[in-house]
Formats: sequence, structure tokens, C-alpha cells
Amino acid sequence: MQCLLCNRLVTKRLAIRDLLWPGKIEWPVVCEECWSRFTAIHGPACPVCSAPQSTATICRECRRWRSLYQWQLRHTALYRYNEAMKDFMHRYKFNGDYRLRAVFQPTLVAAVKKLSADLVVPIPVTATTMQTRGFNQVTGLLTGVPLTTCLTARVKDKTAQSKKNRHERLQAPQPFALVDPAQLVGKRVLLVDDVYTTGRTIYHAANLVYGAGATTVISVSLAR
Amino acid sequence: MTLTEYYGRLVLVNRHQPEIAGVTTLKTITREGAVVRCGRCGQVTPVHEAALPGGEFYCPQCINLGRVSTLCKFYHVPEANQFELKKPVLTWNGKLSPLQARAAKQVADRMVAHQSQLLWAVTGAGKTEMMFPGIAAALARGERLAVASPRVDVCLELYPRLRAAFANTEMALLHGRAERPYHYAQLTVCTTHQLLRFYHAFDNLIIDEVDAFPYAANPLLFYASRQAVKKTGGRLFLTATPDATLQGAVRQRKLAVTYLPLRFHGHLLPTIHCHLARRWRVQLRHQQMPSQLVRVMRSALRKQHRFLLFVPHVKDLAPAAAAVHRYFASQSFATVHASDPARLTKVQAMRDGQYQFLITTSILERGVTFPEIDVFVLGADDAVFSTAALVQIAGRAGRSASRPTGRVEFWVADHCRRVNQAVRQVAYMNNKGRRCQDAVPAL
Repeated sequence: MQCLLCNRLVTKRLAIRDLLWPGKIEWPVVCEECWSRFTAIHGPACPVCSAPQSTATICRECRRWRSLYQWQLRHTALYRYNEAMKDFMHRYKFNGDYRLRAVFQPTLVAAVKKLSADLVVPIPVTATTMQTRGFNQVTGLLTGVPLTTCLTARVKDKTAQSKKNRHERLQAPQPFALVDPAQLVGKRVLLVDDVYTTGRTIYHAANLVYGAGATTVISVSLAR
Repeated sequence: MTLTEYYGRLVLVNRHQPEIAGVTTLKTITREGAVVRCGRCGQVTPVHEAALPGGEFYCPQCINLGRVSTLCKFYHVPEANQFELKKPVLTWNGKLSPLQARAAKQVADRMVAHQSQLLWAVTGAGKTEMMFPGIAAALARGERLAVASPRVDVCLELYPRLRAAFANTEMALLHGRAERPYHYAQLTVCTTHQLLRFYHAFDNLIIDEVDAFPYAANPLLFYASRQAVKKTGGRLFLTATPDATLQGAVRQRKLAVTYLPLRFHGHLLPTIHCHLARRWRVQLRHQQMPSQLVRVMRSALRKQHRFLLFVPHVKDLAPAAAAVHRYFASQSFATVHASDPARLTKVQAMRDGQYQFLITTSILERGVTFPEIDVFVLGADDAVFSTAALVQIAGRAGRSASRPTGRVEFWVADHCRRVNQAVRQVAYMNNKGRRCQDAVPAL
């Protein structure tokens, strides 16, 4: 097997149980060296949005969101958005290498299962993106999880979020619309995105879902 | 985009783009049972690896050149050879030696016939200059040409030389990090990967250093070189160390061959001498060296001959340097490896004569010329040294007319086929070279 990221051979030391146990042997898809370049988020972080920081108090941004919406979105992020993650996202999303979903799919699926929500809602991509990229990067990372695709990307945004600066992003208007909102009433909803940067996107989505009558909205992202 | 930009190219566009008059549309991906075949790189991928949601497919093999998928199509216009000729075509006024001229003529004749051919010229024979007459004649015929190499550094080095030699010809330089985007030109210099973006474009394609990584044994790049030339186009491979596939093709008469077994100064290649040093790694660990190596190094230093000492791996450099330091404390030397930040300054210092010798890994195997040096390899039987690499390393010695000979000594822990083949290849070329020396006495 070759590492999905650097094409080098991935080796694994087999245990006796691997040889005797029935079923498929789980083989790592990336080599240890590539894997070690990603940093999982642990240690002191904002209790609301998982932003890495020195104290365990609610961060400034989350306080700002609270004053804006009067409710707070409990967000879990799994990895830091470092150089390795940036490179990964570039290859996965912008180069469109759909195979790379296998790198983080198991970790994200495990995190989603742990958060035990009634409905799992992925952040959608626009029709234009779907035309060129051919897949929704979030759905790809969630292969095997039953999803509720009740959000659609409404506006045809001329510039992608990742190409704007911070201020422009925070000014962005509501990009989503709801389909079949009745199914959300009284549910605990988990929103899933690939990267949490300012929180603008996911707060927009959460606002819609709350408006449709969901009791709790929480969210998870692969990176922040 | 003007129509010329599509000549002989595969331009990737969204499948919903409108048809353009005079532009052919080609299919990107073909399904063949349990695999899909890419229309650009020609490689097959299992359906489950190539699948996108919604029954679409993409090719993961050439994704670095922009993704080919069923969401796209290719625009292509057959090559029309619309070039303006400005005379003189060849603005190079160097002179070839009689032997070089003879080989160059043979190469040029075969380029007229659009044959597949190999120019097997020893290291330091002046291969680049020998292409010039053939290229000049082809350009004058109005042919479209490409000079490709698997290594970017070779392309970057070739481009200015060709630029100077064909100053009146429109040229393009294409590689992964090229600043200027693609433009239509009669002569294209590019990496072999870039050839995938062409389709039946060139009348003659020249591939320099064909044996260099990653071209060697890479089916994708072989496919690229076949696709990039016209159906009637010719290919010229240049190398000092053809691999078994190329040599086989020569034996089966599928590939015409031109030998140039003598260096530009008319001398033979230095012969490789092998010595056994069974426990050289253990010796290094105890700051000792094979006694013969010490003797050879001492004699080289006494005669004021500078040299390169090759070791297989980066981790062998430190023990080797420590051992060498114990024997030759008064000598100035340095160690160099691929990711050494001071690599360029050290190589330059060696060129300027500040060091008596360098201890290095195989990074200095190609394209580096130090005049009047000897070459020693410790652990030549290690798997990192291929036959081609060993012949290239041996070819570092005796590259100048002022000292056309040099010592090439290999130390091996065990006898191995790669080393023996390298020794045999040098002997084979020298055999041919001796016959040439007899035939052309006026060198």
C-alpha cells in the first residue's frame, strides 16, 4: 500500500491477532511521517469553539457571536489548520482528489458518532462547485453516516469564502436555504463542516436550523 | 484564447462549455469494465478509486496537471505547423569535433526520416551541441519540435543554451513552476510530465537524460512521449546510460542507435576498478577506513588531484567524515547531501579549489563538472546506486582536456550485478571508442 499523501510505501507490523482474526486487516492509508504533520487539538482551548488558547475561558469571538445571536453554538474541532492541513485541503478540495477523503473519514465519523445527534447535517456546496468539483467535501468525509441534507446553498457566490479576508467574510449574507424544515422540529442537530475559520458560515446555518424549530444545534469541523 | 493555443494541445474545459468552430472535442475518461482509462495519461484506474459521487469518474494518476474527469472535456486542434521562419536558424558558431560531427549527421538524417532513435554518447561527449544540426534542419523544414527531460534542472540548464543557439526561433519553456503560461512556439523545452498536455503535436521529440529518475520504468511518461509526437513523428532519446529496456529495443532493431564512445577531447572513459571492503560500515563506526582507500586517497592528495568520495546514504556521511578526519586532519574537505542548506556554496567552493575533496551522496551524480578530479565510491553495491548512477558517477572523472584521465575506484561489500554491469558498460563503450580512435586518427 502507498501513502495517499506522499506515495511512499506504508508498512505495518502485523500482530498475531491480525493473522488469526477473521475479516479484513485495517491498513493505514497514510504513512506515519505524513500523519505526524497534522496536530490534533488538545490542551487548553475555548470551551465553546475549540480555539486553541492559553486559558479555558470563552474566547472573544464567541462572546461576540453570543451578543449577536443570544445563543451559543457548541463547536468541536478535531485538528489545527496548520500547513499540513492547508495542503491537504488544497489537494482534496481544490485539486479535487476525492480519494483523499479516506485520510480523515474514520476520525470524523467517530467524532460525529460520539456527539450523538438526532440529525447530521452537512454544510452544502453551491451548484457551481458541484459542477466543477463533482463532490461535496463534507459529505465525502462522512461516508457511512446517515445524513440529512436539508440545507442548500442559495446564492451563487462569485468569490469563494476561502478567497476573502476576515472582514469580508464576517459581512457575508446568509448563503443557505432550508428544504423540508419540518423534519428539524424538536431535534438535536449536528452541523458538519470541513474548516471553521471565522464561524460565519456555520452560525448562518445554525441560525436557520434554530429558526426551523430544532431544540439544540451543535457543530463539528475537521480543522480550525 | 486564440486558435493557435489549441494546436496539438489537450486543453481541459468544463463539459458545458460551448463547441467552438474548428475545435475538436475529445473524450476525457473511458470506462473499460472494472477500470477507467484516462484520455490524457492513458493509465487505467480501478473504478472504485476513480469514482466521484453521481456516477462520475476522475483520473488520480495525472491529477497534478489539473484533474481530468467526466465533468470535463478536451479542446484540441490538430497541429498546423504555422511558423514564420527567420534566417539564420542556427545562431551557434561553435564547432563540432569530426567524431561529434559524424554522429550529429547521422542523428540529423534519422530526424528527417522521423525515426525512433537513441543517441548513446558517453558522459562528457557534448550531447547538447550534437543535437544542434538536427534541430536546425528540422526547424528550417518548418517542423514543430520539443526537447524534454524528466528533470527540471536539466530543462532549466538546456533552455538558455538552446535560446542562444536558436535566437531567431520562438521558444517556450514549460514546467510545473513555470511563470510564463503556455504559448504556441516552434521549439518547446519542457519536463516529460508536461508532454501529457500535448496530443500529436511534434514532428520530432528529443528526450534528454531518458534514464534519469522518474522517467526510468515509468509507463505514464513513456505513454506521454508517444502521445506528444504526431503519428508520423520521430523520437530521439539521449543518454549516457541506457537501461535494459532501451538496450533491448536497440538489439531488436526497434530503435536506431548512434554511438559516440569518445569524449569531446577524444579520450576513453576512465575504467572502473573494484575492491572488496566487506566491513566498511563497521570500520567507519570505529573511525577506520579500508586501508586501500586510505592509500589511494593519500596518493591522490600527494599528486594534488582533487576527488569526490561517494557514500550511499546521508547517515553514512558523518561517520565517513569522522574517519577521514582522523587520517587526513590537515586537509580541507566538506560533506554535501541533497537537503544540505549550504549545498550550493560547498559545491562552488569545491569548484573554486577551496576544498581538496568532497564527501557526498549520489546528488552529484549528474550534471556537475569539476575539472581534473578522481572519483571514489564507498559501498558501490548499495541499492541506491543503480547501474546508470554508477556509470554517471564514474563519468565525473577525466572531464577536462587538461587531464582527460582520472582514477575511478569502487569499494563494495559484496560483488553485485549492478556494479558488474556498470564496469561492463564502460568497457563496452571503451571498446567501441578504441575502434573510433583508430578510424579517426586526426583527433
